[in-house]
Amino acid sequence: MPPPEDSSQPRLATGCRWGAESKTGSQRERVVLYPEGALRLRDTGLLILESCDGQHTFGQIIGELQAQFGDADPAKIRADISQFLEQLKHKRIVDY
Amino acid sequence: MKTPNPLALIAEITHRCPLHCVYCSNPLEMAAVSSELSTKKWIDVFQQAGKLGMLHAHFTGGEPLARPDLTELIAGARSAGLYTNLITSGIGLSETRLQALVEAGLDHIQLSFQDSREAAANWIAGAKAHAHKVELSRLIRRHNIAFTVNLVIHRQNIDHLDEMIAFIEQLAPERMEIAHTQYYGWALRNRAALLPTREQLATAVEAVSAADKRLAGRIRVDSVVPDYYARFPKACMGGWGRKLMLINPAGKVLPCHAAEVIPGLTFENVREQTLDFIWQQSPSFQRFRGEEWMPEPCRSCDQRTEDFGGCRCQALLLTGDAAATDPACSLAPAHHIVEAALAEANSSAAVSQPVPAASFVQLQQRAADLWSYRTNPE
Repeated sequence: MPPPEDSSQPRLATGCRWGAESKTGSQRERVVLYPEGALRLRDTGLLILESCDGQHTFGQIIGELQAQFGDADPAKIRADISQFLEQLKHKRIVDY
Repeated sequence: MKTPNPLALIAEITHRCPLHCVYCSNPLEMAAVSSELSTKKWIDVFQQAGKLGMLHAHFTGGEPLARPDLTELIAGARSAGLYTNLITSGIGLSETRLQALVEAGLDHIQLSFQDSREAAANWIAGAKAHAHKVELSRLIRRHNIAFTVNLVIHRQNIDHLDEMIAFIEQLAPERMEIAHTQYYGWALRNRAALLPTREQLATAVEAVSAADKRLAGRIRVDSVVPDYYARFPKACMGGWGRKLMLINPAGKVLPCHAAEVIPGLTFENVREQTLDFIWQQSPSFQRFRGEEWMPEPCRSCDQRTEDFGGCRCQALLLTGDAAATDPACSLAPAHHIVEAALAEANSSAAVSQPVPAASFVQLQQRAADLWSYRTNPE
């Protein structure tokens, strides 16, 4: 399956939506609800999916995370986010 | 230790259905119409489910559309914070009613098809339903909700699975579920005519895998190898009393839709007890929870945390003992029962062929030697 392009605007797929938000200590957790299940998200997974609002481009999302995690290899950040979104598209939780 | 809360509620809101599918998994003894829970009680149940931290409400039956208050029930579940899923044949769903359901907060609709070929589909369903479902699919796509097409496969239709997948593709759902028949209720009665051969299964597995590759990113393809042919049993319902609660039309709370076949278990009713109490305290939910109840070879098997010993109802239906290892397991002492059914399926020619008929009554008469069609509750 083709990876997102820099100009793609990732978003939750039709019929998928955010559920409740909870907190354990300072750790924020949110769920994405989809037809047959739910995805519990925290840390970077949560940051990425919250940026998938249909407005931000894939390029912008990568840029923001690269800026935030300056110590990590930018190429690896790009590859990881791309793979994460490809997997979610295959499951029909994300579209881009 | 307190058991973690359940994740989803299966709301079997009625056993009534305009279809008569020969593989219906509803119990042979169905809940009477007069015993069905009220609108108010269901809404109270959804509130309790939301407070317990459940995430999904799956509306099923029977045909959930047979309840005129379905829109109110969907709204009730949604306002309790639940993701709402309607599992339906689509019979009884007009354009206006669909609109109302979507406005009430329906998140996902799962529409079942019996075949890609109209005559064969109507024959399996015992009703002229196919054309309406095709039309309904187009209406569903006009709304911003998730759409799954479900198709049950078996000996009579599995040979043209490629054609059925192509048929589903042009209905443009987000997801297709290719479900092998499971042998409970009416399907167990009709097993000889439904169980595919090993060769048929192998071809089907290839067709599903090819479709998954071809449709990746457009349509998610879900399918599970039928347990009769698998090495290990299925983790039925994700394990007894581990993830799900099912409420039947009369308000009985069950760990799975077939659990009432198990003798010696008493099921609480939402009319008398809270969901929280039933989940944590009721003897029926605790009966096969955990590993205490397990016989050998399950008790010392590495798979026990994956399949939880398989399905209790299938163990009962095939061996007479609900606490036996599921005979679908290749390690089960009673696996010979499943092997015998497979030997029969792989030796004989296909048992029955479609019988054209003008009405359900006529169909029932003509098919009497071949099939048991699902009936309706009183």
